[in-house]
Amino acid sequence: MAKRITIDPITRIEGHLRIDCEIEGGKVTNAWSSGQMWRGIELILQGRDPREAWIFAQRICGV
Amino acid sequence: MTTDDFKGIKARLGDISRRDFMRYCSIMAGALGLSTGLAPRIAQAIADPKRRPPVIWLHGQECTGCTETLLRPSHPSLDSLILDIISLDYHETLCAGAGQQAEASLAQSMRENAGKYVLIIEGAIPVKDNGIYCKIGGKTFLSLVEEVAAQAGAIIAIGSCAAWGGIPSAHPNPTGATSAPEVLKGKTVVTLPGCPPNPYNLLSTVVHVLSFGKLPKLDSLGRPTFAYGRLIHENCERRPHFDAGRFAEKFGDEGHRLGYCLYKLGCKGPVTHANCPEIQFNDLGGGTWPVGTGHPCFGCAEKGVGFTIPMFTQVEVLSPTPFARQAPIIPERPVPVSPITAALAGGALGLAIGASAVALRKLKDSPDDPDHPVKED
Ligand code: SF4
Repeated sequence: MAKRITIDPITRIEGHLRIDCEIEGGKVTNAWSSGQMWRGIELILQGRDPREAWIFAQRICGV
Repeated sequence: MTTDDFKGIKARLGDISRRDFMRYCSIMAGALGLSTGLAPRIAQAIADPKRRPPVIWLHGQECTGCTETLLRPSHPSLDSLILDIISLDYHETLCAGAGQQAEASLAQSMRENAGKYVLIIEGAIPVKDNGIYCKIGGKTFLSLVEEVAAQAGAIIAIGSCAAWGGIPSAHPNPTGATSAPEVLKGKTVVTLPGCPPNPYNLLSTVVHVLSFGKLPKLDSLGRPTFAYGRLIHENCERRPHFDAGRFAEKFGDEGHRLGYCLYKLGCKGPVTHANCPEIQFNDLGGGTWPVGTGHPCFGCAEKGVGFTIPMFTQVEVLSPTPFARQAPIIPERPVPVSPITAALAGGALGLAIGASAVALRKLKDSPDDPDHPVKED
């Protein structure tokens, strides 16, 4: 029977990351990573003056 | 402060002399709008490690730029000073443990310091669809903020996202991003807007609490008045150009190169409250803030301005001062009266200037400078 381990939050990174692993016989057999935060910057950028796109895109990650 | 007290600080902050430390405390008193006579009290508060307030730092819809600004100052000891005067019990970017360990340290700090800890919120709080757009350890950020705030002794919203919604709340606000004061209605939330905020404003707020046992004076939006009491336009180093009517009209034009006022390029300094021109950024000396580098302020700290009014749109000036007239960038010459003589004289003048410019270039024996073309009019 596979065992499932979830690590959430992953620390010392920027953002909200979650890792799920499936373990069988002491080995990782499957794993998923998922971003746990969404702001929709793609949608926010639509229809804006392209000359100011950078002030939004630059702030996707501040690290 | 006695020499013995200082020895303790020196051991913790590294290479800093007593004189520098006291000067630092005087500057801080000044930045807080207090008499420098209160510097010893501030020094004492920083020196006394018994009073380190436990801090829980939560991350919502953010880019971690607020945390970075705190960790990246080049001036020695700002980050060590902050991390030294507070006890940072939970911070996802700086935690040693992850997953359950991190969650356990959060729960432990909340239990042990109930009613005493300082909650610092970085990032907006998405409320749409029951808050599913930001989750930590399986909980929504919305529920986490409400839970941690319920037992906090003080709450600080750092950065524009937490203070008023910031980028994630920009139109069409896909996730219902909401500020901390709006989510925590009825509670006092100190807001330190800015994208990024200035780390000195956080430091000064914390030091004020340590030194005087209470929050600094806040305006109706929760902003400390020592930092947000004035418009950028009121303290801008380019203000004399504004008052004299000297403006950069285009990026890269003569007025822009000469450091003229950036109002016509869309500067939002006239409607944005912040102390950027006074304390600037990164301790790198004069000019390290947007206007200082030649870019108009885009109003990141002010709700309804940053990420809202387009960057190159001119704003109404809230505090205009009259100026006599708009001075041209190239000073005008007296113009002859009759149109015919004017045309002739203009031509002759143009030739004369052209000729002397050529002579000058020959004399200097230098290649033409495309960035500084000689005006031939
Ligand atoms: S408009 Fe902007 S650049 Fe000009 S004086 Fe005001 S704040 Fe400074």
